[in-house]
Amino acid sequence: MYSIEIQELTKIYSPGNPSKEVKALNKLNLNIPQGTIFGLLGPNGAGKTTLIKILLGITYQTSGSVKLLGVEDSYQIKSRIGYLPESHKFPLYLTGEEVLNFYGRLSGCDSKAIPGKIDELLAMMDLTKWRKTKVKKYSKGMMQRLGLAQALMNDPDLIFLDEPTDGVDPIGRKEIRDILLNLKDQNKTIFINSHLLSEVELMSDRAGILNKGNLLRECSIAELTTNNEEYVIHVDRALEQILSQTLIDEFKVKKSVEGVYSAFVTETQNINDLVDAIRNNQITLKEISLKKKSLEDVFISIIQDAEKEGAK
Amino acid sequence: MKNIWLITLYTLREAFSRKVFIAFFVVVVLALVGFGIFGSLVKVDTLLKGLEGADKQAALNQIVYRIELMLISPVYGLGLLLAIFASSSFIPVMLEKGNIDLLLSKPISRTQLLLGKYFGGILVVFINISILIVGIWLIIFLKFSIISFPFLFAIFTITFSFAVLYALIVLSGVISGNSMLGMMLSYMIYLIISPLLASRSIIFQFIQSDFWQKIITFFYYILPKTSEIDKLTSGLVMNQTITNFQPVYSSFLFLVVVLSLSIYIFEKKDF
Repeated sequence: MYSIEIQELTKIYSPGNPSKEVKALNKLNLNIPQGTIFGLLGPNGAGKTTLIKILLGITYQTSGSVKLLGVEDSYQIKSRIGYLPESHKFPLYLTGEEVLNFYGRLSGCDSKAIPGKIDELLAMMDLTKWRKTKVKKYSKGMMQRLGLAQALMNDPDLIFLDEPTDGVDPIGRKEIRDILLNLKDQNKTIFINSHLLSEVELMSDRAGILNKGNLLRECSIAELTTNNEEYVIHVDRALEQILSQTLIDEFKVKKSVEGVYSAFVTETQNINDLVDAIRNNQITLKEISLKKKSLEDVFISIIQDAEKEGAK
Repeated sequence: MKNIWLITLYTLREAFSRKVFIAFFVVVVLALVGFGIFGSLVKVDTLLKGLEGADKQAALNQIVYRIELMLISPVYGLGLLLAIFASSSFIPVMLEKGNIDLLLSKPISRTQLLLGKYFGGILVVFINISILIVGIWLIIFLKFSIISFPFLFAIFTITFSFAVLYALIVLSGVISGNSMLGMMLSYMIYLIISPLLASRSIIFQFIQSDFWQKIITFFYYILPKTSEIDKLTSGLVMNQTITNFQPVYSSFLFLVVVLSLSIYIFEKKDF
């Protein structure tokens, strides 16, 4: 079952006005299964926030359709949704617990259950001792944690987080990560917009890369970061002195550091040929693995390719 | 209804937290204190000296009516000016990025949200105006031992006038996202346009053109008639029978149309 279903979603700002017209989303298709943490990546102006806003009915699409938790176009479904916007503004005259009470009541929470939920979430976010303090005195990190607590007040099945770790220190980030992973274990679906690629890599199961309103890639984090061509080989001797030059050229074997080599295979080659050659030469093969690329490398490479493609 | 009430209550809470509302409240209290001091200087016995029997009570009633009449227009004007100033930023603050996103992500319709803010603004003004009017009424009662209920009608007429102008503030807030435009339009209608249109018979002596007379009459009927509601309030205070409620009906129609337009635009708007 999909928690989010998006079909041919297009958003054009100021349509019909050539000087102002902006295509923020272009026929976007995306399905996100229940119980997934999905990270949406993209440079500034890619359309990430617009996408979340359309999903939540804050902005309207020009064409296309969206379904959240199997329901199309209904604000009532929002009682099962949590949202932490980027740069959220809480009423500064309220205390932390009053903020949670207000948004909890707006979210349709059972009024009897609200006090208990507030206690639970303030403890989870380490804000209990600040509960009676007006939020205008909160630091950015505290505001962010309160924002996350607010998004969880109604025990949502689907949670949208726009830059959830923005302004949070490393320990706080780790705590938020743990909370989100715990929510995922409860079969909640989490949709994250973030500039922090390492965060997305650590938390998400799947990721999408959006650029200029086009979804360039959407797959699992493992698929994104695994490089199917390059291997890292750890051996106890110098390969370049033992293996034939033909084999070294064929697999483009290169020394990285002492005892560590990289090797490339094409679709027509088999890495086993290289492994056999190493073993036949009495070289101890300590380790061989597919080289993992960082999400940042993948992201930059995909965006640059798209830019080059666009320039053509 | 639950959502509208919740937003109304939190608008009231927002007002209490803001300096402008406190300033409004302080002015109300100062006006009451000033009136209380003035009242303490008036010697009722001296006023009634020389009057006998039934005349005495009738004269006292007349004195009280005159005092109320003298007060009602400044109170109406002060109340409206302060109310517009105190409430003009409710909508723009709600529409700020980071705030509106959060509100619209909740299971509350846009209509409920806007109506909640609208009623919240009216409730704020109703409370302040009630304090002012009831305060004056109590001082008069304590001073002259006369219970003059018609004076309390002013609470509703002032709140009604504000509700009409506040609909315009809401509309301009939804369109422009700032408070200045709404404030300027409301002040313009209250201080200039409404008194001018109410005196259109005088204007017609100088404008002979049938076309322009029709234009002026058209605007008279479609725009709020705060000036005439002020006069109507004075009539109510004087316990006069009101026969012409046209200014109330047409102003109410303006309120309904402008508020509906605000809701329509708010429903369609991207944030």
